[in-house]
Amino acid sequence: MTPNSPPDPQAAISIRKMSKFYGDFLALDRISIDIARGEKIVVLGPSGSGKSTFIRTLNRIEPHDSGVLMIDGAIVDETTGLTELRGAVGMVFQNYNLFPHLTVLENCTLAPRLVRRAHREATEALARQYLAQVGILEQAEKFPIALSGGQQQRVAIARALCMAPDVILFDEPTAALDPEAIKDVIGIIDTLAERGITIICVTHEMGFARHIADRVLFMDRGCLIETAPPDRFFTAPGTERAKQFLAQLIHHE
Amino acid sequence: MPRLFLLCLVAILGLAASGVVRAADRPGFLRDGTLTVCTNPTLPPMTFINGNDLSALDGFDIDLARALARYWHVAARFETMDFAGMFPSLAAGRCDLVISGVLKQRAREKLFDAVPYLESSPVVVSNGSAKPVTSFDALAGQTLAMQSGTSYAARIETINKDLVARNLPPIVIQQYPSEDQVVQQVLLGRTRNFLSQDVELFYRSAQLGDRVRVIFTPRMPDYEELAIYLRKEGQERAALTRAIDALRRDGTLERLEHKWNVGASARNALGVTTSRRRFDMPVFLSALFSRAFLKGALMTLVIALASHAMAILISLPIALKLNAPRSLWHPFLSLYVGVFRGAPTLLQLLFIWNALPQFFPIFHESWFSPFLATWICLSINESAYQVEINRAALRAIDPGQMAGGEALGMTTGQIYRHVIFPQALRVALPPTINEFISLLKTTSLASVISLQELLFVTQTQVARSFQFTEYYAAALVYYLAMVFVFLHIQKHIEKRFVWASRNGGGAHDA
Repeated sequence: MTPNSPPDPQAAISIRKMSKFYGDFLALDRISIDIARGEKIVVLGPSGSGKSTFIRTLNRIEPHDSGVLMIDGAIVDETTGLTELRGAVGMVFQNYNLFPHLTVLENCTLAPRLVRRAHREATEALARQYLAQVGILEQAEKFPIALSGGQQQRVAIARALCMAPDVILFDEPTAALDPEAIKDVIGIIDTLAERGITIICVTHEMGFARHIADRVLFMDRGCLIETAPPDRFFTAPGTERAKQFLAQLIHHE
Repeated sequence: MPRLFLLCLVAILGLAASGVVRAADRPGFLRDGTLTVCTNPTLPPMTFINGNDLSALDGFDIDLARALARYWHVAARFETMDFAGMFPSLAAGRCDLVISGVLKQRAREKLFDAVPYLESSPVVVSNGSAKPVTSFDALAGQTLAMQSGTSYAARIETINKDLVARNLPPIVIQQYPSEDQVVQQVLLGRTRNFLSQDVELFYRSAQLGDRVRVIFTPRMPDYEELAIYLRKEGQERAALTRAIDALRRDGTLERLEHKWNVGASARNALGVTTSRRRFDMPVFLSALFSRAFLKGALMTLVIALASHAMAILISLPIALKLNAPRSLWHPFLSLYVGVFRGAPTLLQLLFIWNALPQFFPIFHESWFSPFLATWICLSINESAYQVEINRAALRAIDPGQMAGGEALGMTTGQIYRHVIFPQALRVALPPTINEFISLLKTTSLASVISLQELLFVTQTQVARSFQFTEYYAAALVYYLAMVFVFLHIQKHIEKRFVWASRNGGGAHDA
């Protein structure tokens, strides 16, 4: 793949020279990459490097301004049906963004009922199945506020799974959690990876990145600086900026 | 040709003699087959509500209007309203005549035609022990109460100029919106004297007894006849004069003067002793359980609910627009909110009812009722307040909720309906119910445009009976009862938002 080659319709996600501006500020600078089906990608980089913006362009919560974004062989632009796109590309947020006025079960069934027009019984059965998978089925009737952070993030993952996406974007899913909960959530993401869902995850958890990722993307100032398998990235980074970033991490830890 | 003319003349005279009024002699305003009369039914015995039924208009003026209608062979219809609303309504064409115990005065005759129908006399009344006086000089420096909206005050001001010119202290003028309140000030001892018309005092004699007495009957040229007012149009005035003359000739007017005790014979009736209790429990209870009060309270409740519902509908899109990034709409919507929050509600009501028809004649018509006017006014007024509540409530929702919904493929409409609004409702509800309770009380202002809500009912009952305490107390009970019910509902609803409290979070578990 080169920035000038045509996008690859066989890839789960294929991007060419994709840029994004906030006013005059260049948030994403000509990003090009192919992500294969079932691939696990971890996006690393310092704060403000454009990691979150990058993954938010993939389900068009932040529309890109130029370049080509192709998902599952189809170009994503202003004519793309957002309902279908977001059904195929799910997302889990740092702050969970659960709906506080709905129970755990209702959080999981709202979108399938409204967007997919699925029957209540079918959606509830599916939701209970996913809630069981993430290990919180017994909390199904509670409201989010009664749950711990880790439990809430597991609900958010189950909620995303209920839309049966091909890709799930994780935006720093463990950043607001305590170490015990981090382990839980990482374990769950791990099992998703084993089931073949394409995962793109922004994180600061280096252990997690090393363990799960097929490839690490390193970003800085809106640019995709380096793409490498984790063992090579963490032991022998190819760029000076990645070296500095890793050195700082070790310093902090 | 001359023979034919003569024949016609004979025929006309013959018909007139037999008492049948030919269409040619009817004023033009009767074209619709109805005589519509504006009246302010708070002035017994001329025009008032007799009894607990709000539709039971009664009095000399009401009988006179009915006699006129009979004379013209048309139906009589009454529009009841505040004194201040009558002449604007006449000008706006909402009624054909104003018959409401109004004095024949030159200033009014510049704008409207007047036809006198009853002699009257201004009287200065004081408490029962006061001595008679012979001129206004004796009242110098004293307080004198009178009804506002009348021209008494202007008249006394000219007298005051004369007093001051002669180094005497001026008369202290106090104005009250209704005649019964004027009288009450003297009974309470707050004011020494009040200025009124004798016709009204005759009627009050039974209630007031020897607690008041006439101390002075001044000569005041503009205050000695009551007149029917009508718009200056064609030959209408002449036709009305002929009708009044006919009613005088056939004895109708004399009969009415007798019936309502307003003629010359009534002048000596004051001074009969009666005793009155301070708080008449049976009167209070019968008012409390009367149809009139129940209907008044119901009207208050209905207008408040209808107005607030409309206000919420209006305010929601405005709040959403104002919370969105700046657009061309912003200055206009901000102006809307500013104007309707800034202007007094009473002024807005009077504006919509009295000024609007002058710009848009369509509002003269009878479909534009006091209810409709109040509904429109309070809806708009309340929506300006509700906009701020809604904006605050919508802002209180974490932007992550929108992102969360979007990421699940929901449309913006679905996110608002199922995610944002249900959460904003919890934030908005307590202040909204507070606003509603405030609105429930604000509806009392609509009595000025004759909406028959609770306060209007109370005022008409007081004007008739003079029993302030009993009727005010009954109104108070109704207002408090309604407010307490809504406070209770508010508490109950707040408890239902279990999802917002950590303790309640497990409630569904049980």
